[in-house]
Amino acid sequence: MSSTQWRNVFTFNKYSQITAQAVRSSLKETQRLAAEKRGFTALRYQKWENGKGGEQVILVPEAESGSKKMAAV
Amino acid sequence: MASLRLIASAARRAPSTIAIARRGYAEASDKIKLSMALPHQSIYNSTDVVQVNICAATGDMGILANHVPSVEPLRPGVVEVVESSGSKKWFVSGGFATVHPNNTLTINAVEAAPLEDFSPEAIRTNLQEALRVANGNGNEEDKLEARIEADVYESLQHALGSH
Repeated sequence: MSSTQWRNVFTFNKYSQITAQAVRSSLKETQRLAAEKRGFTALRYQKWENGKGGEQVILVPEAESGSKKMAAV
Repeated sequence: MASLRLIASAARRAPSTIAIARRGYAEASDKIKLSMALPHQSIYNSTDVVQVNICAATGDMGILANHVPSVEPLRPGVVEVVESSGSKKWFVSGGFATVHPNNTLTINAVEAAPLEDFSPEAIRTNLQEALRVANGNGNEEDKLEARIEADVYESLQHALGSH
């Protein structure tokens, strides 16, 4: 698939994040360490039903081990 | 004959066209106000510059003073800012360049850095990895993502190699 077809698969925001991450990972050592932090996004969500909160789910980017961490808080 | 005179007199009575400001070419001394901003950093803030060369998705463009208002998406590439004191090149990951009617240019990008901040070894390694995934056996989404990254790395290599 040529890269001009990304619009069929990704949203513009996702494409932007892909190219931004590519640029960040190409910087020299010192700038890269600061820049990598900008690419980090962690998310925690909780579903509410009938006024009661459900389990809180934490999603972190896949670490080297590859598995998504899920924790109830 | 009578109809010709009628038309002529009607033309004289017709309101003259509204005066539209005529667009011309920029003089060498004219400057354009550049604001270049990333989400985390403001690189230029209404700074007077002579010329800005941008890597628009439709091709490379040079923006001078009093450019016609336009909105241009940027591809991952080099933005060169020419001030009276010299020029500086930045590699941007993408974004938009907007020329406003009041002689201002706004460039928004997600990531950008001066060319000297990039490491050719890191780019070479990243490119090899991206090509390996793009030509490999993964799912289509991963391959497309790697293809996009490979294009960015190739663009970076070209920018660093020829500057």
